[in-house]
Amino acid sequence: MIRIMKTIVKNIKLKMVLLFILASFSSSCNKYLDIVPDDGLATLESAFALRSTAIRYLYTCYGFMTSEGNLDGDHGYMTGDELWSIIDRRESGGIWGGGMFNMARGFQTASNPYGNDWSGMYEGIRACNIMLENIDKVPDLPEWEKIQWIAETKFLKAYYHFHLIKKWGPIPIVKENLSINADDEEFRVYRDPIDECFDYVIQLLDESIPDLPMKVQSRDELGRITRPIAASLKAKIMVYAASPLFNNNQDQAGLIDKNGKKLFKTDKSPEEVKKRWEDALKACKEAIVICDEASHILFTHQGRVSVNDTIKLQLDIRNAITEKWNPEIIWANAHTSLGANGNLQRAASPNLQYEQYPDMPSLYNHIQPPLKIVDQFYTNHGIPMENDLEWLNKNPWSLRAGGDKDRWYIRPGYVTAEMNYNREPRFYAWLGFDGGQWYGQKPEVNDPIPSDMFWVASRAGGNQQKKGHDWGPVSGYSLKKVIHYQNRQSSATGYDVIAYPWPMIRVADLYLLYAEAINESEGPSGANSSELFKYIDLVRQRAGLPGVKEAWDKYSNSPRRYANQINMRDIIHRERLIELSFESNRYWDIRRWKKAAIEYDKGMYGFKITGSKPEEYYQKVLMTTQKFSMRDYFWPIQIALIEQNPNLVQNIGW
Amino acid sequence: MVKTKFLFLKILFSTCFILCLQYVVHGQTTTVTGNVKEGEKNLSGVTVQLKGISAHGTQTDPNGNFIIELPQIPQTLLFRMVGYKQQEVVVNDLKALNIQMQLDSSTVEEVVVVGYGTQKKTEVVGSVTSVRPKDLKIPASNLTAAFAGNVAGMIAYQRSGEPGADNADFFVRGITTFGANTRPLILIDNIELTTTDLARLQPDDIESFSIMKDATATALYGARGANGVILVTTKRGVEGPAKISFRAENSINQPTQNIELADPITYMKLHNESVLTRNPLGEVPYSQDKIENTLKPGSSPYIYPANDWHDMLFKDYATSQRGNLSVTGGGKVARYFVSSAFSKDNGILNVDKRNSFNNNIDFKNYTLRANVDINITPITQLAVRLSGNFDDYNGPYVSGEDMYYYVMHSNPVMFPAYYPVDEDFHYVKHIMFGNYQGNYRNPYAEMVRGYKDRTRSQMLASVEVNQDLNFITPGLKLMTMLNLSRLSEYFVNRAYRPYWYQIRGNYDSFTGEYHLERFNENGTEYLDYGEGPKTVDATTYSETRLNYNNTFGKHGVSGLVVFTTRQWIAANQGNLQLSLPSRNVGLAGRSTYNYDNRYFFEFNFGYNGSERFAANNRWGFFPSAGLAWVVSNEKFFEKYTSAITNLKLRYTYGLVGNDQIGLPTDRFFYLSQVDMNDEDRGSFFGENLDKGGPGIRINRYANEDITWENSTKQNFAIELGLFGKANIIAEYFTEHRRDILMTRSAIPSTVGLQAEVRANVGEATARGIDIQSDFMHSWNEHFWTSARANFTYSTSKFKVFEEPQYNEAYRSRVGHSLTQTWGYIAERLFMDDAEANNSPTQTFGGLYGGGDIKYLDVNQDGQITAADQVPIGNPTSPEIIYGFGTSVGYKGFDFSVFFQGLANESFWINPVETSPFQNQTQLLAAYANSHWSENNQNMYALWPRLSSTIVNNNTQTSTWFMRDGTFLRLKQAEIGYSIPGKWKERIHLNNFRVYLSGTNLMKFSRFKLWDVEMGGNGLGYPLQRVFNLGINMSFN
Repeated sequence: MIRIMKTIVKNIKLKMVLLFILASFSSSCNKYLDIVPDDGLATLESAFALRSTAIRYLYTCYGFMTSEGNLDGDHGYMTGDELWSIIDRRESGGIWGGGMFNMARGFQTASNPYGNDWSGMYEGIRACNIMLENIDKVPDLPEWEKIQWIAETKFLKAYYHFHLIKKWGPIPIVKENLSINADDEEFRVYRDPIDECFDYVIQLLDESIPDLPMKVQSRDELGRITRPIAASLKAKIMVYAASPLFNNNQDQAGLIDKNGKKLFKTDKSPEEVKKRWEDALKACKEAIVICDEASHILFTHQGRVSVNDTIKLQLDIRNAITEKWNPEIIWANAHTSLGANGNLQRAASPNLQYEQYPDMPSLYNHIQPPLKIVDQFYTNHGIPMENDLEWLNKNPWSLRAGGDKDRWYIRPGYVTAEMNYNREPRFYAWLGFDGGQWYGQKPEVNDPIPSDMFWVASRAGGNQQKKGHDWGPVSGYSLKKVIHYQNRQSSATGYDVIAYPWPMIRVADLYLLYAEAINESEGPSGANSSELFKYIDLVRQRAGLPGVKEAWDKYSNSPRRYANQINMRDIIHRERLIELSFESNRYWDIRRWKKAAIEYDKGMYGFKITGSKPEEYYQKVLMTTQKFSMRDYFWPIQIALIEQNPNLVQNIGW
Repeated sequence: MVKTKFLFLKILFSTCFILCLQYVVHGQTTTVTGNVKEGEKNLSGVTVQLKGISAHGTQTDPNGNFIIELPQIPQTLLFRMVGYKQQEVVVNDLKALNIQMQLDSSTVEEVVVVGYGTQKKTEVVGSVTSVRPKDLKIPASNLTAAFAGNVAGMIAYQRSGEPGADNADFFVRGITTFGANTRPLILIDNIELTTTDLARLQPDDIESFSIMKDATATALYGARGANGVILVTTKRGVEGPAKISFRAENSINQPTQNIELADPITYMKLHNESVLTRNPLGEVPYSQDKIENTLKPGSSPYIYPANDWHDMLFKDYATSQRGNLSVTGGGKVARYFVSSAFSKDNGILNVDKRNSFNNNIDFKNYTLRANVDINITPITQLAVRLSGNFDDYNGPYVSGEDMYYYVMHSNPVMFPAYYPVDEDFHYVKHIMFGNYQGNYRNPYAEMVRGYKDRTRSQMLASVEVNQDLNFITPGLKLMTMLNLSRLSEYFVNRAYRPYWYQIRGNYDSFTGEYHLERFNENGTEYLDYGEGPKTVDATTYSETRLNYNNTFGKHGVSGLVVFTTRQWIAANQGNLQLSLPSRNVGLAGRSTYNYDNRYFFEFNFGYNGSERFAANNRWGFFPSAGLAWVVSNEKFFEKYTSAITNLKLRYTYGLVGNDQIGLPTDRFFYLSQVDMNDEDRGSFFGENLDKGGPGIRINRYANEDITWENSTKQNFAIELGLFGKANIIAEYFTEHRRDILMTRSAIPSTVGLQAEVRANVGEATARGIDIQSDFMHSWNEHFWTSARANFTYSTSKFKVFEEPQYNEAYRSRVGHSLTQTWGYIAERLFMDDAEANNSPTQTFGGLYGGGDIKYLDVNQDGQITAADQVPIGNPTSPEIIYGFGTSVGYKGFDFSVFFQGLANESFWINPVETSPFQNQTQLLAAYANSHWSENNQNMYALWPRLSSTIVNNNTQTSTWFMRDGTFLRLKQAEIGYSIPGKWKERIHLNNFRVYLSGTNLMKFSRFKLWDVEMGGNGLGYPLQRVFNLGINMSFN
């Protein structure tokens, strides 16, 4: 027993020795675990330590910009009634995923909404707020530049809010960032009433406009925000705010927040309603003045080769969109990548060089407008077909061969429908069709002759016929408007695209907004009557058309139609839908005018693509019908987001 | 280790001997003396007993001598000792007895490997499953494939059969956390290694294989032990003449089941139907001419192609070979174990003879291992262990898995795999692959266009010093060890770009004449080089232990203190934070006490530090304690011991951690991670949009409070030995996992955060049962039988889960299994469009109507939304795994079968992947035979109304595609023959056995489309059935 005791005592001693050894270990252990260099890691503070990193944060703020003109990223391009495509088209090599097209098919859901960039926009807003909170910390940033950056950031913050408003209506405004460690209750924000939303956005733009430069300092900064951009966006937003969808919209009377606030004011007096339009008118005027000062003018083509007037006019019209950084473009979206624009052009383009490269794999020709969009284009007199005296006895579906008179527009001797003859120059400049001439996509030469031009034969058996069950054409009209006239097929599989940043606002758009605002606030014969006709006619003039008054008085069955505010509204709307067609405007305009229910009821028709003889081909075939109900005017808030924040009230009908 | 054990016994029994003498020696008797040996070695502590009178006995002293007083002679003496066969000797005279004891191989395994040491089986308090290495011997080059049903307490299943990528999924006591890491800690000779390293381990090299399951067994591993620990030790040298063992196996592998596809004609007809049934005006993809002429005798297979891609790509079977050679032996100074192993698995892909390279899978693995123990002094031992594991993989340009994917997703009738070289192209050297517009996938071309090399080497070297510190106090030992390991792996691709051909213009369907055109000019006739990813990493591990073990009379005491450090660093990590070394420091200890081999008490702790957490949260303390009571050693139990040879009860309770939280890329939660150079976040400006620059992205917000998961574990166990023939261990466990890292769902997106905010807020519980049992009986000297069975049940629950406050209680995760699936209840298919229009709106986007799936409006709000998703089916990870088998032997023959099964598992047929026609997906024969069509409006058909595109309505997770994963399979059967003794001796053969075995021979399941064990991965590389012929021999 003594031996046992001894051993135990020894053991205790031993354990103490061990404990001592181990205690000394622990301090060295902590050092062993300190592997992170003390000041070597990047944090958010690092971003504002120098101008050279702070500018990256400015780029970050820009980085949340929407992707108009990107088939998958633009939520107003393939989503409405302006274009149709093949439903089970092939997975076209990453050209587009077709997600947005599902909205056009009426498949929007609240569970998982298409075009749901709600979170992305709020990330962008948070980034802008971080920029505004920290910009003063940058030690080597010159004062003038700081002021300009703040103005740019405020513009972006305003735009991101506006983008949300455009889609969801009333939204929670985020004036300042919430801390990550805020209470759950603080996180659960409410939607703000629509007028407060607009007012906040306008306030931000008003703050930014004076601090922005008239032009970018160097061509390397093209795409950065300038004063004309901000002033034009303000004008556009004011017009939106005044439009029936947002201004006194009775349909939204039931949209009441969880805390009892009405999100749409529906008891506005006529004066209040009109006030919005008057503000819009002022904003448009101011924007036009600023744009004039910055030399933003309607584009006309300056060619290196000599072409006849007809082709020159076509190039004026076409290149106003596809010629990058041209003076008409007030705001080109640098964020829509050139690759995405290339994809749009490929998806739209028929294979014109069939003789040389019959199996071009990357040209799809499978997004095409339905006939109602094509019909919307005027006759060569600048008025609708149904009002043109010359057209009253014509059957648009009758067939005839192209003659000498039409040789620049229609392949001589090729039989096509009457409706393709004697249309306005924009029709020929922006649409390809069976028998239609197609200038461009070839090396330029002096004085080209009609037989040198490409042309389209999209009937079965023709060079641009439907290529397979999952390949275009779809309706029979190609989207020439978005295709740059100098794109070329360079080899059996190669297609060289001249890509361009997407036009967000161009001069014609601004002029037509101005015209609209004048007509809405005072009618066609008010104080600004001459301005109204001046600006709408400037747009028509560039399109090779007579002025509104001349056209309606001289050629229509309804002279002086423009004298009435309601009819003038139709004229302005139609002018806008034609001029800004396929530019991601129709979807939003139709909505803000609350015309979608009528428009979407019309059905989408095309020609009988599989016909080979003209008589077979020129038949009106229903491609699809559409569904639209009141709820579709606004996006649904994703159900998961409402579950996350029960204070968000869902839009009506979802 | 064996030596150490004897040392303890020596001390124990010499003490007892002295004590015994004082009481036993009395009265007038006959004194008998003797000596007990095993070979040349004196055995101490052998119980010497008078037969029939158990109270009358003694034990041998350290020199193996004994003295016993006998009342009279003749008498029969019993000699007993653990690990040896019992002997009976009749004493007729007073001559000194010389007894030779024989090792009893059936009880040698009584030592159990536990964390940082071994314990006698009777001493073990914690929950440890020891697996006999021979149960892990299956004819496969992947050890993990043997786990299912063989290891009590392990949930294991295999989803893929691709050589080199067929690791089974395995979890100790199931998945008990919804954090990122659910995998057990894998230690091979105490070195932390990966699943792949475990998979490559040779069963022949394994000395012991243990699974640590409860807190007491794993607390030593502290913050790394919560998911259980797999501890494997490799063989070490055994003193004696060189013993050579050799094993060679040759196997034939074939898929257990191939998926049946519809024939090309049916494919075309139903593809046409799929278009017209959705849109009567739609354009059908295949003309009547094509359908009629395809496969018609006499029509050209190039104009009217019909490819059975499966037959073109895959052979019927593949072969594989394995060999293993080891030598062990040594003398007093040094002992060695050296082994080398080789395995070669061939894939099942065809090779095009026109190519000069092999695109089939050829997966070779080499293992070299040398374990050497050297006695530097009588009390200092040096151990050196070197091992290397080398993979050489040659395979197709894409993986075997991808090849199966391609077969499933390639149109069978669009173009032939290749065209014969014709007059127009008489000059080409390349294969003229078919394609259409260069836009489609030609799986044959993908298979033969190139090949991939992959090389992986894992090298480990360790040095270990064992110092006996008996001079300080008996039973004290010091061990220190350093291990270095290096892993490197790289891929190289070599492939040519195919030239695509298609028929140009019109063909003559009568004469079969056609002309080809080359579609692309960017093909190559030579191989292009492509570099794949490279992995290089280095691990340094050190361990120092102080062990104390002694017995004082009936008191057994042991103590252990271990200090470990581990560093892991890898190249090519991509960013600064990940490039920093990962480090762990741990201090762990164990102390045990037992009284009279009846009561056992054990306390363990781990104290760990990890570099991943903020300084204030860096260290964690994980204690555990356990009790055991060996009832069968109690006096009162003696009368039952003939029937119940062993009865032991155990209970443990403790805390273990898991520091592998978040993704591997999420290091340093306490630091924010900001990418100052993110191209995707930037903006570009200027004439050509090439000015401007990258932006800044916040990938993680700093949170100093983040720390490891904590797991409270409890274990109840009963061990039962019956008639010395059967053993049963049954355990019940509970676990409560706290501080599980999860994404805060309370922060809405209007806050605009760029990264998810996470916190240790989740909690989960688990409980279950595992049972292992075995039985062994020899009927006579020629005929024996044995049987074994394992059963594991583990179920888990979400306890705290941050989620929105749902209006519908059934949407909450809380109370459901961690791998529970939520989905819609599919009632049936809509009868017709009218019914679809009059039913609650199903808001999944896309048109739907008659023949599409009708879901139940659970919350009755008139529409089917996410709110109608209820928990459906069983968990996706099975809750029950079991296995049972039996072996019989007669003379030289032996035969064994092993069945394995699982239950309580659901899986889903992937409706998107199997949705025919879209993305050129093939048509499963089962779908062709059973789908809703206008002619056969079967509302319970297997597949809904056909469509050539994805129908969102039908691809939701729902009960429609839910299947029961339950199965039972004949996992293994083996028949062997060993040459009897007399032949062997002549050629110094110790053992010679030939055997024929088979794996995955039969299965019983209600699911018929593919091998049910693959679950939702059924379209992947199928599991393999293996027929194997092997020989095993050893020489002395």
